[in-house]
Amino acid sequence: MDESEDVPKDFIKLKSEKLSVDEVSELVISPNCGAVSLFIGTTRNNFEGKKVIHLEYEAYTSMAEMEIKKICRDIRQKWPSVKHIAMHHRLGVVPITEASVIIAVSSPHRTESLEAVMYCINTLKAFVPIWKKEIYEDEYSWKENKECFWANSEK
Amino acid sequence: RRSPGRRRRREAEAVPAGHGGSMRCQVTVLYFARSAELAGLRSESVSVPQRLTSLQLWEEIVKIHPRLAVIRDQVIFAVQQEYVLLGDQLLVLQTGDEVAIIPPISGG
Repeated sequence: MDESEDVPKDFIKLKSEKLSVDEVSELVISPNCGAVSLFIGTTRNNFEGKKVIHLEYEAYTSMAEMEIKKICRDIRQKWPSVKHIAMHHRLGVVPITEASVIIAVSSPHRTESLEAVMYCINTLKAFVPIWKKEIYEDEYSWKENKECFWANSEK
Repeated sequence: RRSPGRRRRREAEAVPAGHGGSMRCQVTVLYFARSAELAGLRSESVSVPQRLTSLQLWEEIVKIHPRLAVIRDQVIFAVQQEYVLLGDQLLVLQTGDEVAIIPPISGG
């Protein structure tokens, strides 16, 4: 790869097709980075004793992409050595055990990419306008992240 | 599309909110998740006063879709893709602005 083209990049994608760990991690690989850290959010098959059939995600897509861009900007301010950031989130129906979100970050040394990945998923859960519906056998439920930034603040 | 740097939320002036010269505008209201189920649709064009508080804006929308009242304590707005809590914040809206009802989020 031409090193002059290896400028820090953010790879943000919301899509309905199955996510690929290989694809997302390859996006952030960089010749001067010794670390790629990864987070994969998968779907559990149960909630409070109920069997989860599948999940459905929807998003305010244009705003979600903007909020994710802000997270990437925050990461680069807090951890300036971070090289590339990739965040892929699935929309629509997600079957059990498949990934709903994959985050990958590269940096020269491991501490920054590990911390940045954690910041990324925690902040996504608090600020990005994406919603998850759990489908059970007889009913469904719109989930609410405890991290949601206005939760319990408005009454 | 407007340039990102343009300031849209000006200092509140002496005109009381909700009465600002009866000037109204057509905004696009977007409904998501539970709010889309309660309203029965995902988007519509709504006439609202140009100057009003975020709480008054909520009340305008609930007049059209009374079933939304049950989620009042959980939702916030996104006006032109900036989050706004329901309350006293003065909004200055323009025709074509996007107002989204944001129920508690659950991404990731």
